[in-house]
Amino acid sequence: MNEQDLKRLFEQIDAKPDESVKTRTVAAALSAYDDAQNIGARKDQGNGDIHRLSTKSNFSEDKPMYQASTTTATRRWLYSGFASAALLVVGVYTAILATQQTGFELPELEPTKSVQSSEVVKVERSVERAMDSLASSEQAARPERLSAPAQLALQPFEADALASGIDDREVSRDFQMQVDPSDHSIDALRPPTVGAEKDSGVTRKAQAAATARKREPLGEAYAAAAPASAAAAAAARAAAPSTINEVITSTDYRDMGRDRFETIETNPIRRVSDEPISTFSIDIDTSSYSFMRRELNRGVLPQKDAIRLEEMVNYFPYEYPVPDKREAPFSTDIAVIDAPWREGNKLVRIGIKGYELRNTRPQTNLVFLLDVSGSMNSPDKLPLVKQSMRMLLTSLQPVDTVAIAVYAGAAGTVLEPTPVRDKQAILNALDRLQAGGATAGAAGIKLAYQLAEANLADGGVNRIILATDGDFNIGIHNREELKGFVERKRQSGVFLSVLGFGQGNYNNALMQSLAQNGNGVATYIDTLGEAQKVLVTEATSTLFPIAADVKVQLEFNPATVSEYRLLGYETRILAEEDFNNDAVDAGDIGAGHSVTALYEITPRDSNSGAFSDSRYSEPKPTEGSLDEYGYLKLRYKLPGEEVSRLISQPIPVQTDDAAIALQEARFAIAVAGFAELLRGGKYTGDWGYQDALQLALDNRGEDPFGYRSELVQLIRKAQVADAM
Amino acid sequence: MTVAEVELIKRAQRGERDAFRLLVQMHYPTLFGFACKYCGNRQDAEDVAQQACIKLARNLGQFRHESAFTTWLYQLVINCARDWHKHERRHAHDEPQDYAIQDEAEPAVMLDQVLSLVSQMGNGFRETLTLVMGEGLTHAEAASILAVKESTVSWRIHEIRKRLNAEVDSGVSV
Repeated sequence: MNEQDLKRLFEQIDAKPDESVKTRTVAAALSAYDDAQNIGARKDQGNGDIHRLSTKSNFSEDKPMYQASTTTATRRWLYSGFASAALLVVGVYTAILATQQTGFELPELEPTKSVQSSEVVKVERSVERAMDSLASSEQAARPERLSAPAQLALQPFEADALASGIDDREVSRDFQMQVDPSDHSIDALRPPTVGAEKDSGVTRKAQAAATARKREPLGEAYAAAAPASAAAAAAARAAAPSTINEVITSTDYRDMGRDRFETIETNPIRRVSDEPISTFSIDIDTSSYSFMRRELNRGVLPQKDAIRLEEMVNYFPYEYPVPDKREAPFSTDIAVIDAPWREGNKLVRIGIKGYELRNTRPQTNLVFLLDVSGSMNSPDKLPLVKQSMRMLLTSLQPVDTVAIAVYAGAAGTVLEPTPVRDKQAILNALDRLQAGGATAGAAGIKLAYQLAEANLADGGVNRIILATDGDFNIGIHNREELKGFVERKRQSGVFLSVLGFGQGNYNNALMQSLAQNGNGVATYIDTLGEAQKVLVTEATSTLFPIAADVKVQLEFNPATVSEYRLLGYETRILAEEDFNNDAVDAGDIGAGHSVTALYEITPRDSNSGAFSDSRYSEPKPTEGSLDEYGYLKLRYKLPGEEVSRLISQPIPVQTDDAAIALQEARFAIAVAGFAELLRGGKYTGDWGYQDALQLALDNRGEDPFGYRSELVQLIRKAQVADAM
Repeated sequence: MTVAEVELIKRAQRGERDAFRLLVQMHYPTLFGFACKYCGNRQDAEDVAQQACIKLARNLGQFRHESAFTTWLYQLVINCARDWHKHERRHAHDEPQDYAIQDEAEPAVMLDQVLSLVSQMGNGFRETLTLVMGEGLTHAEAASILAVKESTVSWRIHEIRKRLNAEVDSGVSV
């Protein structure tokens, strides 16, 4: 309901007075008026006896501000004057301190802070012990003084006022913690020890003492109580610098250039005679493309290691033939076309399309594991996470369950597993989230697995969706250990997908390996549009695996091919023998996923190869069919199965590709070429952005979601960024 | 306020019966309208307005021309309405009310529901809502009537808006 509605509501109320009621009311009022006038009249005539004499004035006596007297008035001025002066001094001091300290670096301060505060606590404890003994003796001697706690109770308040001068909640909390003991009157003697830590503390103490002396003329002894607050202030300040710094860095959190990517070497060209077999695991991550898009939209070229060719190619859906049986969950489509960047070379495109789930979707048990650490506190992080999760909810069925766990300084459950039909509860839980604190990613992961396992959907999909900017700094910080944990948990049927957010601190390497070990997808979400693509349009492929451990092996025919090179998949290369080993993990394919792999080959009869002929070793006599470039083998497991299945298919020299297949292949090549260019263009020769642009433009196809048109724009931006 | 009005009030304060009658007749629609918006229904509003007029008769002498007469009248009605509600609550309304609000409800019912929801938010919220949204006063005017700071009024309105957004329009579309 908005304001207009509300106003309209008020207008709709029939507020026209009824005439008869009005007349009646006026009559009633008039009679009351007459009565009142009569009372007044009688009073005028001297019949005042109905008014009792009262000493009470109109002012209510329980309101102290009405009790004005000269002494309290001056005292009030005096007190407030001193209070303001004290506040000013502390305010200025803290301001100076804060400006001096901002140059410090946070990580170095962390240990000092703890040392400092623990020292303070230690000192305080020992002093307290000493004071306790003093207290007992003093108490015995002068009990009547101690029985006036009211005045001393002023101290914490004054301390509060001082703290507010520091103008920082963090500090004031620390501060109050340290001030608390000063409630005890005897702790007043504490300052000399603690206060001595700071030079300026001494002058402050003196001032505060003066204040106290004037304020409490009755008992000079109580003046000693004042330094307690000053000392507490000093102690708080001793601890303050680190706190202030922490706050400053977290509110202004913006570190740049800490995005971490694994350094990858582009796959080299290989001789078929040396190594005729190429084996790799498929990869369905797409994070590299989104990250590249983000950087290009900022007008800079992304760092080379951020570009993963296979992830960029796989970002796009391709129109490969769709399999129609769940038992044979994907089809392979092969096309061979000329390489645009090297005359004579050919490109073999292997397209794999996953089976699409129609109307039967398994029950889903999702756990959102959301990073709410301080670093997530920027518009492209936590708010985007919330939005994305909201989107994801729309693509779930009512019976699916969602739980939310968060991690920051500590991990916690925000929402117990809740069915999606109770959408409002989930949305409310999401809305409550706020960013702050450090990142205990590992503890969060453990908690998320507990939640998922507690509500395991048998035969359904159990998945943790981790949304983070990628920094895990507490808990299992050993990357291998964390990976091992995720891998072990995979056996229990709970998978892990990773949604990366934000930039500046993005730890892509860790995210990728986590998702890889958790049988999930690593996706980078830079915009709401990307969230829409991953979580709504392609929700089924993100959520439901249809084939696990998909491996590809290609054996080249030495009779027809002399050299080959696999484009991308550098991090997914497998040893030849691992292809048949079902214990070796590989990538999964989600429902409706399309995966594309490209090989650049040099046919035997072409002189476009990179290697020159060997003078000494005789070319081996080649036998075998001259109609085939090679033989493709695919291994996969159906979800839940342990034994892999095999699909095999020859790669013909002559393919009669349909126009649509050629278009899809050419577009994939345009993307791959663009990726190569962004990685430095080791093998692309003279082929440049302009050619990539043209190729992409010509092969956009239908492009119902505009992804391909976006690529065209990105190539243009890269062109500009490169020229700068 | 025109000179004539001031003169009228002064005459009524001096005890001129006709002046007072005119004054009441002049201001009754305002009083009643406001009472309606505050109470959410006619019956209560009529009673409250009558109480307010009687109170006006008794207390007119206390009006010191320091503030606007309407401000003073609003205060009068609010006081009467508060008393009335206190009285009402003592006698009726034992059954727990259901505060679920439907958008389609009839305006009067809907307003009643909104008002009770807002009353639950704390003291002064209902008055603030009625003055600002119902009577279209500025925050400053409402503040002077309620004898609170302008920022308090703004805050209350903000809170009400937030609450109503959350409670009344719960059909969240994602």
